[in-house]
Amino acid sequence: MLKFLKQVVDYAKEVTQSAVYIGQGLAVTFDHMQRRPITVQYPYEKLIPGERFRGRIHFEFDKCIACEVCVRVCPINLPVVDWEFDKATKKKKLNHYSIDFGVCIFCGNCVEYCPTNCLSMTEEYELSAYDRHELNYDSVALGRLPYKVTNDPMVTPLRELVYLPKGVLEPHDVPQDAPRTSSRPEDLVEQA
Amino acid sequence: MNAGIDLQGTFIQSVTDLGIPAGAAKAIWMPLPMVLMLIGATVGVLVATWLERKISAAVQQRIGPEYQGPFGLLVPVADGLKLIFKEDIVPEAADSLLFTLGPIIVVIPVFLSFLIVPFGQHILIADVGTGVFLWIALSSIQPIGLLMSGYASNNKYSLLGGLRAAAQSISYEIPLALSVLAVVLMSNSLSTVDIVNQQSGYGILGWNLWRQPVGFIIFWIAALAECERLPFDLPEAEEELVAGYQTEYSGMKFGLFYLGSYVNLVLSALLVAILYLGGWDFPIPLNLIASVLGISDTNPILQVVTASLGITMTVLKAYLLVFFAILVRWTVPRVRIDQLLDLGWKFLLPVSLVNLLITAALKIAFPFAFGG
Repeated sequence: MLKFLKQVVDYAKEVTQSAVYIGQGLAVTFDHMQRRPITVQYPYEKLIPGERFRGRIHFEFDKCIACEVCVRVCPINLPVVDWEFDKATKKKKLNHYSIDFGVCIFCGNCVEYCPTNCLSMTEEYELSAYDRHELNYDSVALGRLPYKVTNDPMVTPLRELVYLPKGVLEPHDVPQDAPRTSSRPEDLVEQA
Repeated sequence: MNAGIDLQGTFIQSVTDLGIPAGAAKAIWMPLPMVLMLIGATVGVLVATWLERKISAAVQQRIGPEYQGPFGLLVPVADGLKLIFKEDIVPEAADSLLFTLGPIIVVIPVFLSFLIVPFGQHILIADVGTGVFLWIALSSIQPIGLLMSGYASNNKYSLLGGLRAAAQSISYEIPLALSVLAVVLMSNSLSTVDIVNQQSGYGILGWNLWRQPVGFIIFWIAALAECERLPFDLPEAEEELVAGYQTEYSGMKFGLFYLGSYVNLVLSALLVAILYLGGWDFPIPLNLIASVLGISDTNPILQVVTASLGITMTVLKAYLLVFFAILVRWTVPRVRIDQLLDLGWKFLLPVSLVNLLITAALKIAFPFAFGG
């Protein structure tokens, strides 16, 4: 009899415990209702990509020495380097250069290894197209600079996580002059 | 106590004054509240779907629909229009008669149940003597429709989904009925109007919530299961399965299921408000306020205020419960089918039985507090 009663008591305890847990869960979800939505309303608001953002690759045609290092370090040998040997100057002459961003994984190896720094990462990430072949950028398209979010009058720029003060995760209500956590690149140059 | 506004009586009186016989006057009156109720239920559903979206968004720190009308209020309209204009597909191998009949059988009882939902002393379609019993009877027609549509789709997933839905509906019907029975025991009547009247008089203190806390929780859990709301929505678990018995449905037939589930949610919320939260009763007794202010019971302004306040209170309580259901949706994980049946048969059923017995005992012991 006593054993049975103990079982009943244990069961009742279990039930109350789970009820308490559900109550705590409800408190959490209710608390979330009062927080500001973290939504970035994309076409009207855009995040400013951080300095380390790996976006569409920029290419400077005149700096390139057609060494093909970018092709070698690329995981899939993606960049197409079309050059011919100019006998007069005894140098390689670059005719065409292209990268297909429909295939590129934006790992940044080519940028890292380019001996003349003719490749660089931009902050452009809006690479949608109606046809995947449109993503095959030739040297002219690769040479274009992206349009800055901060210069677009249609867009409210919002700061990405790296630009925000310490402990702030949400860019909407942060004042313009609030200092960012990490040092700016120019400060790092001064320190060195 | 004054009866308050009697729209039906006044309407029939004024029509008979025009020289029309009383029977005809009543016949003219009859379709009006029915149409009003149909419109009311549909608008209630539109509001519920909008709330579902907005509250879900708020809980997840999103914004939710914003550009479709002010605050995204036109989203439900867009939903409805989309469903109406979609092609109505009946699978080739399906039993087209049962396939069509299924969603209809699911929806009609839910709308019919609005017959017994009172918004005031005389603001309801029919004060049926067997009120809540009628609702329980009507809601047990639903599983037949679910089974029918699952079977008629000629699809094994639909059939399994239909069977699960029917099993769920049937197993939660019993604790639901038992907890209603405890309320009925206290108010000595099955009529929804009597149940509310028995709770009124003491404001918030008189509500059944305090005398039937266990019944309230059991009823709400069972009602959520009946509506296939999230902790118990496994027949058509959105994120995990194909849509159960709804798999083969599209267009307005799917729309009927969708409408039915939300009407059912609103209806359950309304019934919880009536059975446990005092229906149209204001948290502070209105008679008390009126007597403090020195207003007579028969004052027409007071009566209009009481009636509109009653409707507001009922709807407010119901939507508070809908809000709670949506909050629960984003708090509690979905149960498995065996956990669902365990909860229904091994927990809710014995607890509601004990609740009923204790209520009966208390009624004998303290007849003044438990409606002797």
